[in-house]
Amino acid sequence: MNIIEIKGLKKDYPLGATIVPALRGVDLEVGEGDFMSIIGPSGSGKTTLLNIIGCIDFATSGLVSVGGREITALNDRQITDIRLNKIGFIFQTFNLIPVLDVLENIEFPLLLMKRSAAEARKRAEKLVEEVGLKEYAAHRPAELSGGQRQRVAIARALVTNPDIVLADEPTANLDSVTGASILELMRRMNEIEKTTFIFSTHDANVLKYARRIVKIKDGLIEKEPVAA
Amino acid sequence: MLLLRLSLRNLLRQKRRNILLGSAMAIGVAILITANSFSHGISDIMFNKIMRYVTGHVAVRFNERGGVMREIFRDRQRVWDAVKGEPLIEEADEAIGTFSRAIGNGRSDNIMLIGVDTRKTLSAKAIKELEESFRMAEGKWEDLRRTDVENPVIVAEEKARYLNVKRGDIIRVRFRSMFGQDQAARLTVVGISRNDNIFMQGVVFLDRDRAKDLLGFRPWETGSINITIKDPQKNARALADRIHSRLRPGTAIIYASAGGRPAQVLGFRTDDANKEKLKGVMKLSSGSWDKVLRKDGVVLPAALARQLGVSAGGKIRLAYPRKFETAPREAVLTVTAVCASGCPGPAAVLLNDAGFYDLYYEDMPAGPAAGARTFSAEGPWAELLAPEWVLLNRTNNTDDYKKKYQDIAKNKWKGTTIDVSTMYETASDILKMEGVLNLITVSAVLVLFFIILLGVVNTLRMTIRERTREIGTVRAIGMQRRDVRNMFLLETLLLTLFSSAAGLLLGFAVMKGLALITFHPHDNPLGMLLVNGHLYFLPTFSGVAGSVLLIVLIAVGTAWFPARRAAQLSPAKALGHFG
Ligand SMILES: Nc1ncnc2c1ncn2[C@@H]1O[C@H](COP(=O)(O)OP(=O)(O)OP(=O)(O)O)[C@@H](O)[C@H]1O
Ligand SMILES: [Mg+2]
Repeated sequence: MNIIEIKGLKKDYPLGATIVPALRGVDLEVGEGDFMSIIGPSGSGKTTLLNIIGCIDFATSGLVSVGGREITALNDRQITDIRLNKIGFIFQTFNLIPVLDVLENIEFPLLLMKRSAAEARKRAEKLVEEVGLKEYAAHRPAELSGGQRQRVAIARALVTNPDIVLADEPTANLDSVTGASILELMRRMNEIEKTTFIFSTHDANVLKYARRIVKIKDGLIEKEPVAA
Repeated sequence: MLLLRLSLRNLLRQKRRNILLGSAMAIGVAILITANSFSHGISDIMFNKIMRYVTGHVAVRFNERGGVMREIFRDRQRVWDAVKGEPLIEEADEAIGTFSRAIGNGRSDNIMLIGVDTRKTLSAKAIKELEESFRMAEGKWEDLRRTDVENPVIVAEEKARYLNVKRGDIIRVRFRSMFGQDQAARLTVVGISRNDNIFMQGVVFLDRDRAKDLLGFRPWETGSINITIKDPQKNARALADRIHSRLRPGTAIIYASAGGRPAQVLGFRTDDANKEKLKGVMKLSSGSWDKVLRKDGVVLPAALARQLGVSAGGKIRLAYPRKFETAPREAVLTVTAVCASGCPGPAAVLLNDAGFYDLYYEDMPAGPAAGARTFSAEGPWAELLAPEWVLLNRTNNTDDYKKKYQDIAKNKWKGTTIDVSTMYETASDILKMEGVLNLITVSAVLVLFFIILLGVVNTLRMTIRERTREIGTVRAIGMQRRDVRNMFLLETLLLTLFSSAAGLLLGFAVMKGLALITFHPHDNPLGMLLVNGHLYFLPTFSGVAGSVLLIVLIAVGTAWFPARRAAQLSPAKALGHFG
């Protein structure tokens, strides 16, 4: 079963008087439990596509269904609920909440889901261990290295048991060794938690981790090669 | 809980900025509380310190026979019954006072001689207020009760200095009695008081009963009554209305014997309107209207005249038991006319009101003897007969009040008028100051409003700009718009609450500090706003709570719009802000 189905997706950005077509007719299906990479040069539309899949941006035209739900028909409250319950985000710039420590950052989505404090804490503790930051649980993000921050972000993305985890260039701000370890962690989590992962990159070196590669250029998906 | 934790920590994150805004708010709260407490203090001075001693919040005033200076009512019990038993009343006192010429040691001056009740037990609050308003420089209040010296008095410090008298000295005074006779008395200075109240700086205090005695009051008579009450702004008018309604007069009746036969002596009104009506109601069989209306004399009903064997020009002897003294009052009066028909009653002896009230007020009659026939006025007589007193209509403001007194002067009431008034009619000038004070508070609120408005909007804007990506992040993770908005509102609320607490402390410190400064009230026209030469602040719980609530409302209200705008940010745009 496909967890994501996209048909004829177009996205235009107004830029002053002109219109920038960021996506120009994308068709894409992603199966459950996939570990997929979107690769393309800068400005090709990777972020735009991930944002639309992640329900934080919306198509100009075309159909987008996430977890079997057509998202264009929903209001902001329902869409926010989908983001909370179905999707996890990992950002290029980590985007942790600076006033919360590692454990608090990880349990944050659970508290938004109104889970009990004890339950949230237990689950967050399990994840902080899985991403190997047990000793840093009480640290604030500012006290962590880039790689450690991204591990926290991965834990936070996974804590709610989402259907899909989206990662927009998760390694772009990391050195190659750290980047590799992050991708290995993501891959391992994909195997443990059976979560669908989609990550974008313009670095061909990280492609070896992907099970499926989608190439995007000028807002269009290129013919898919066979998975590595 | 999550939001609270976030808001609290975010507040601490931008310390400098929030401390700056918080300080501004704290100063604002302090100003507001100070202004509010000052305003309350002034109100308290006006209502509880000045008003209390000058007019009372509610006053029951008597004017016997239209004489403005003749503030006396002849049946103390009767009117005090109308005042008694009102739970709102804190104090009710007879206002006994007179201007007099005083001669001290080689100097003379006018003084205001004021009677104070030294016998009643005062509440702790009243004692405190008394001591705040009149501090004893020498002697003590109880000395007014001394019997070893002649007329012990306490003199205001300025007056004592001017008259060149010390404790133990004698002041000679000349004054008019209640009834217009010149009187002289010797007063012994037993104390000197410092009176901050500007209205009380030329006064000489004397025991009230002694003062009444000097002025010619008899023990059962009362002067006008000043009443101080709880919550005067709220209650004065309603209380005045209630007392007023209890003071409706009946017909004045003297149950007497006329030449040995039971009779009721009644007065008839002689004002122009009633004179004409009277002529239409009653037929005379001997004597003339001219004499009846102009002269003091009695009109007898025909039957009684026959029994007594008198006609116009003859004399009759009246006698009646007095209410307050044992021996009966007797009077011999000339019969001016005989009433053939239309008389008020078969034994009703009529007297024109001027003559009637002479008798009636000088020697209040006892009621009817047990088993005697009582009288009640019927038909047109209900209007034509003299009432026990004239109850003036209630008025609501100074203009109506003045007009009422002009009307009295025109009407020349022969009976005693009773007027129930409130401070709103008699002390409106003092009350106007309240408006000025409220203006001060309102200005403080306005200034504050703008400080907070600018401060909160600016701070929040900066904060939101800096935290745009964070907003994008939490929205992407799944925080609802409402929660984002509430997070910023909560930050503002917390900041406001902390600032208010600091402002509260600051405000109280400022008030303590300002109250330490000593002013010299006597060379300052605003001296009456001081207590013992110091500024007076009276913080009230509702005032303080109201101020804090107001600030919180303004701050949170102001924060609402930027907070909502932050919540409305599209998460994709917010995330892309730097990236
Ligand atoms: N908010 C926007 N307003 C206008 N144009 C935009 C906006 N966001 C993206 N674009 C344009 O849309 C196109 C796709 O951008 P997108 O960010 O999706 O590319 P990308 O593949 O993620 O690039 P990069 O590798 O640099 O992150 C680009 O031409 C970009 O200029
Ligand atoms: Mg991008």
